[in-house]
Amino acid sequence: MAHGHHIIPKKTLFSVFAALIGLTLLTVITALTIDFGVLEIPVALAIASTKALLVVIFFMALKYDNRVNALAITVGLVFVSVFIIFTMLDTVFRGDLDNVSNITISQQEREDEQLRAREPDADQLRVAPADFVGVDDDEASAAVDEAATADEAPAQ
Amino acid sequence: MSSATAAQGSPAASKAGNQGASTYLNHKKTIRSWLLTLDHKRIGVLYAVTLATVFLLAGLLALAVRAELFMPGETIMSNDAYNQTFTMHGIMMVFLFIVPSIPAILGNFVLPMQLGAKDVAFPRLNLASWYVYMIGGALVVTALLVGSVDTGWTFYTPYSSSGSVSVLYMTLAIFIAGFSSIFTGINFIVTIHKMRAPGLTWNRLPLFVWGLYATSIVMVLATPVIGITMLLLFLERILQIGIFDPALGGDPILFQHFFWFYSHPAVYIMILPAFGIISELMTAFSRQRIFGYKAIALSSVAIALLGFLVWGHHMFVSGQSAISGIVFSLITYLIGIPSGIKIFNWVATMYKGSVWLQTPMLYALSFLFLFTIGGLTGIMVGVLAVDVHLHDTYFVVGHFHYVMMGGTVIALLGGMHYWWPKITGKMYNETLGKIAAILIFIGFNTTFFPQLILGAQGMPRRYANYVEEFTFLHQVSTIGSLVLAAGLFLVLGYMVYSLFRGQKAASNPWGAATLEWTMATSPPDPHNFTRTPIVTRGPYDFHLADEVFGPQHTGDGAGDGAAPEPAVPRKTETA
Amino acid sequence: MATQTQETQDVQAHGDGHGHHERLQHHFISLDQQFSSAKLGMWLFLVTELLLFSGMFVAYAVYMQWYPEAFAVASEALDWKMGFANTIVLLASSLTVALSIHFIQKGNTKAMITSLSATLGLAVVFLIVKYFEYTDKFSHGIYPGEAFNPTGSYAYLDVPNAVQYFSIYYVMTGIHAVHVIVGMLVFAWLIYRALRHHFSPEWYTPVELGGLYWHFVDLVWIFLFPLLYLL
Repeated sequence: MAHGHHIIPKKTLFSVFAALIGLTLLTVITALTIDFGVLEIPVALAIASTKALLVVIFFMALKYDNRVNALAITVGLVFVSVFIIFTMLDTVFRGDLDNVSNITISQQEREDEQLRAREPDADQLRVAPADFVGVDDDEASAAVDEAATADEAPAQ
Repeated sequence: MSSATAAQGSPAASKAGNQGASTYLNHKKTIRSWLLTLDHKRIGVLYAVTLATVFLLAGLLALAVRAELFMPGETIMSNDAYNQTFTMHGIMMVFLFIVPSIPAILGNFVLPMQLGAKDVAFPRLNLASWYVYMIGGALVVTALLVGSVDTGWTFYTPYSSSGSVSVLYMTLAIFIAGFSSIFTGINFIVTIHKMRAPGLTWNRLPLFVWGLYATSIVMVLATPVIGITMLLLFLERILQIGIFDPALGGDPILFQHFFWFYSHPAVYIMILPAFGIISELMTAFSRQRIFGYKAIALSSVAIALLGFLVWGHHMFVSGQSAISGIVFSLITYLIGIPSGIKIFNWVATMYKGSVWLQTPMLYALSFLFLFTIGGLTGIMVGVLAVDVHLHDTYFVVGHFHYVMMGGTVIALLGGMHYWWPKITGKMYNETLGKIAAILIFIGFNTTFFPQLILGAQGMPRRYANYVEEFTFLHQVSTIGSLVLAAGLFLVLGYMVYSLFRGQKAASNPWGAATLEWTMATSPPDPHNFTRTPIVTRGPYDFHLADEVFGPQHTGDGAGDGAAPEPAVPRKTETA
Repeated sequence: MATQTQETQDVQAHGDGHGHHERLQHHFISLDQQFSSAKLGMWLFLVTELLLFSGMFVAYAVYMQWYPEAFAVASEALDWKMGFANTIVLLASSLTVALSIHFIQKGNTKAMITSLSATLGLAVVFLIVKYFEYTDKFSHGIYPGEAFNPTGSYAYLDVPNAVQYFSIYYVMTGIHAVHVIVGMLVFAWLIYRALRHHFSPEWYTPVELGGLYWHFVDLVWIFLFPLLYLL
């Protein structure tokens, strides 16, 4: 019944409208003239959220309304952010398994043991380019290759 | 009003008075009055008939699947036919049966009565939900006639976005059927918030109402996402918009996120109302106040909300990032806490109670056993590392059947037996009821426990064929499915028989203390109650339920629930 | 609030509304209860709408984060002036809806009809602007999905993953436009009923609900405009 309904004065409605127009101009101007870098999206979203809040509070009269309605839309918003954040948790870090070895742990341990058991010979102790002078090319590149493989395997 | 009250004055008068009384079933008799009804009870009955049909069809498909798997190699159908059969079984059971099942049948019928309301808040929306559901069902049939759908019920891209045209009809069907769910959810939330009888505070709500409340939250929040998912899949299929299709730069895993954002919460749409029913059965048949009322009520809401944070556990091996796999796995464990609270409270409710082993209670006990297995295997597949081994095996198939069928369907059966006297005004045959309940319990375990073992041994799901070693367990499973089917057909048989030859039901044959039993006749008046109930106690306060046991507490517990005039003077009504 | 006597009468008469406002449905006790139920129902419906659109926003966020360069190039193809004009149009229409509720609460049916008609008019303007935007894009081969083949002045859009941007753009604005059209039908219906004097300060639930719906359509656009046109 009417006595329960809050009548929002025209003045409020018009000032909210003016504020909305102002914020729209603000978002256009900031987007076109100022470079916020990574903050560009947050700034735009902040302005949009302010506008949205104005619409919800005054035009949709949530300020004067039953709290349950506000709760409903808040829960909705929370779950929208859950949807976005949890999905991004995957898409932002997608492929983070690539820096993990795909060989089994026991296999890794076996290889480590084999490496440790191998007595380093003169070939393997050579590291600087100067150490390779005088060695024939094939042997040298084979040694380098082998070293590279040994290095890379665990960090594949 | 005085005549109606007199009819309820004593059990004898009530029985006699029901003979000629107008009930919701017979006050109008035309087909039209059924198809255009706005009465929540009639809509519940419409849903019951529809969903029973769907369950029968989808169940027959399941039997066909089991028959094919009786032997390795081609048994009764080709591989293609097998793919379509299990897909149809899955789609019909999930989207057309289990998701609407308890809320649409028992929720519609019981919820307003438990609230002491005349109807749900939006009766026309309620009827619309049934029609929308029927359109969705018709589209599923169309999809079946137009071509073949063999994507599985999950519609993973890119297979679904590049396959047969009938996938289009199927996605549209699910899009539309989703609205039915949304309508029901909105209706229930508003009804629970706004239509409670005077005195029915939140702490006096029956736990079935709490279960439906939690369910409705999930329906409202999750169902729209399956809508947009199906819409995008539809557009992907006809316009190749490249959101999900990797060939166009899209991301098929994104589809899985979209799909499971709905479909994981949807499993809570399936199980939460079942929790509600079990709470009702446990307390009514133990003659005992429910143990930990608030814990049960709030754990339902907690499950509903937590259920939104775990969808990625369906995607552990999809190639999603490891960090999200870990987070989803950890949150998944949390679900075990509120579920465990419930199991504990139900067991504690029976402790020192006076357990009455009627058919509904047998189902409630089955539920405890089966749901616990379902829940614990759920925790197992929720463990990131274990899931890598068990993913897409029969272990998962066994797990979700233990939850969906062992949980939801068993609870639905228990609830149907419990409220059958109220819905139809007739009693089913108790002996046959007990036999059927035991058959179903044995058949169910024989069917699905071997599947857990098969899965652990490596039998992949969705395959028409398997290696020789699995033959024995598959055969046990198939034989179990026949026992299960026999039990279900027995239920169908004696339920239908009771409609015609059943004993007349008393108003409150179980001596329960919620409003639909204490304040309404069986079957109820078209307007539910002859006067607005005034609630002065909790739903399970048997010691305060004078209308059940009589003022001197001399009742035998099987009273007729004749409600006396309210003891408190009526004040101005508030809703 | 219904008194006990009224309640009893209501029950006895099986809820034909005897002694009540003609708009009171039988299963409600008071117009207040009926109004607040309808409103909660509408808010819940808006929550479902929010979740429906959220899917598109998720898709936007994901592809934006994967392909920021392609999105930066693609969003330049949209004319921010058109988007700005449409934002103003929708904000103004929101104002007129809020005004129409203000007027009916004061019993001024005539002013309510005027401002509802203004809303309808502004919705038409919005769609006309949208029409020009779409046809401009289509004429240069900018279609959603596979048919995407930018030509002429838009040839620079032929970069990988720009197609995702435009798919999202078309789906989002398309679904939004469908909502605008539904809103127009709602307003036409409201005007029709208002002309027949169905609404009064005691009962104007459909206007209130239609208004809430329209504000939501506006809200979606408030986010679409900066995300699609300005970034």
